[in-house]
Amino acid sequence: MNSWLHPALFFFAGSLLLPFFQGKAKKAILLLIPILAIIAVALAEQGVYGQYRFLNVNGVFGRVDKLSLIFAWVFTIMAFLGALYALHVKESGHHIAGFLYVGSSLGAVFAGDYFTLFIFWEIMAFSSVFLIWYQRTKKSLDAGFRYLLVHVFGGLLFFTGMMLYYGKTGSFAFNSIAPAGAGIAEYLILCGFALNAAVLPLHAWLPDAYPEATVEGAVFLCAFTTKTAVYVLARGFAGFEILAIMGTAMTVFGVCYAVIENDIRRVLAYHIISQVGYMVAGIGIGTHLAVNGAAAHAFAHILYKALLFMGAGAVLYMTGTAKLTRLGGLYRTMPLTMIFYIVGAVSIAGFPLFSGFVSKSMIVSAAHQEGRLWLMSFLNLAGIGTFLSVGLKVTYFAFFGKGEPVQAKEPPANMLWAMAITSLLCFIIGVYPDVLYVLLPFATEYRPYNLPHLSEALQLLSFTGLVFFLLLSKLGPEEKINLDVDYFYRKGTALFLKFDEKVIGVGDSLWGELYRTIGLRALFKSADASYGFDQKVIDGIVDGSATSTVGLGSVVRKLQSGRVQTYIGLSLMIFFLVVLFAVI
Amino acid sequence: MKLADMIGTLRENLKILRTVMIVYLAVLIVFDFFLSREHAHYLIDKIYAYWSVFGAVGCFLLIKFSKGIAHLFLAKDEDYYD
Repeated sequence: MNSWLHPALFFFAGSLLLPFFQGKAKKAILLLIPILAIIAVALAEQGVYGQYRFLNVNGVFGRVDKLSLIFAWVFTIMAFLGALYALHVKESGHHIAGFLYVGSSLGAVFAGDYFTLFIFWEIMAFSSVFLIWYQRTKKSLDAGFRYLLVHVFGGLLFFTGMMLYYGKTGSFAFNSIAPAGAGIAEYLILCGFALNAAVLPLHAWLPDAYPEATVEGAVFLCAFTTKTAVYVLARGFAGFEILAIMGTAMTVFGVCYAVIENDIRRVLAYHIISQVGYMVAGIGIGTHLAVNGAAAHAFAHILYKALLFMGAGAVLYMTGTAKLTRLGGLYRTMPLTMIFYIVGAVSIAGFPLFSGFVSKSMIVSAAHQEGRLWLMSFLNLAGIGTFLSVGLKVTYFAFFGKGEPVQAKEPPANMLWAMAITSLLCFIIGVYPDVLYVLLPFATEYRPYNLPHLSEALQLLSFTGLVFFLLLSKLGPEEKINLDVDYFYRKGTALFLKFDEKVIGVGDSLWGELYRTIGLRALFKSADASYGFDQKVIDGIVDGSATSTVGLGSVVRKLQSGRVQTYIGLSLMIFFLVVLFAVI
Repeated sequence: MKLADMIGTLRENLKILRTVMIVYLAVLIVFDFFLSREHAHYLIDKIYAYWSVFGAVGCFLLIKFSKGIAHLFLAKDEDYYD
């Protein structure tokens, strides 16, 4: 067996090292750790490593194959870009949370069994929440707690399914599951995974929490949780029809919200749901081309979505707001940020020459090949919405717009460099897709650049642009928030508190009243009674015993004669008495 | 800033920009008429300028639907949950 160094080890070791360094040394570590991890991924050979046995569980830390490697590649690259973007952050805790989050995501991707996967799954939830809390606002604190609770719920679904699965098969092995043989255990696991992939209706945690995260934390958050979930779905649940339908529903749902949201980071968060929907749909279609498409789209998506969050974060960092209603005219003051944001936007929209075109079209083509024309139509409709919301709406209202230009400067150099490198990667994948295709889990003959494809993409996007400018007056952002299914648990808890106050509280005060009138009176009576008992009975006994003690004292005085023989005799007598009692 | 000036010039000459864009859209449609339909499997592959119409109508419906449903009941004041 070849030796293998788990890339996650670097991140866990790095998180232990970080507190001891400051200044330049800390920055060097922040960049060095992801580079070492990228090298470890590059050197990894396919195989099964790190098998262990714990509590009768056969665990596998390292299942290295093409599917896990493509995610490891993009995770480690993203960790480098994220670290570069966050280089100016002073708090070591923020970096440590980021490293633990990346490390546990890598752990989950290489896990060969449910038990190992579950452990890393939970570390992911508990480390990532700090990237929200470090924003240090009341809103982010609350959103973080909701995020944690929802993920604990998802973890429990997964855990229950995993235990039932063990009961059924006697094994925790995590392999591809055939849709025909799936029972309650498999579907519970699927629900646990689906929650992390933000599949409807288990999606509301995402647009609730990500926009409240720190500027730098959101760049990490948008990459790892949902894409780890895409990986485990691709590994276990390829070909599940429900995923094809729910994934397509997600794509359209996400863009509908993205069209109406005001905060750029909320637009982008809803847009993650839409984009992950493409991947989930690809996994659900389940053909080699479709699963390849899901993996390729995850790779491309992590880069351009991170780029968009970097751009939005830079705007928030420099202007203090990410609300479209308060932005405008930034092309004058933040032109570089604008260029990088637009590269992200045309990538996500799937313009030829940029990364989204070569990955998204694989999934759409797979739907087309399988004759799933309804799915294909909705996926293309979502493509329209993508360009409309992330491409046109945000770009227009933040960087152009009619209003007074907002005073701002370009963000710090490390942020600009991170955006520049990410932009370059989006472009390279777009013009030379083979760098991505060679990493795909199945061999592929797919060629994105042919005339019908180009014509289809350009027609869709260009006429979307036309209608956007015709309806511009209808599209103005509004200072509102939009309800989502988190309404039920956010208002639900408020309802519970009201119930607590009105019903339990009323019951409680009724009980208090009852206690005062009946209980207290009874207490006084019993106190009276016990006082009388005390005086008459206890005192009697105590006084009596006092008298007898005095009496005993005179007896003892007589016994204390000072003669040793008497003491020995007395001791023996007491000893025999004790023995006698013990025997009886 | 050069880029800002370029964008400024473009914004002052919106008419030219508009004409260029309309010509571009027309070229796209004409181009689609010359595309081979040999490998077309389904009806939608055979219709000329199908994706242009799909893009325009789809975009219109998405805006109307999303904004409509927001104004109907989704949109709330920002302090709604506080």
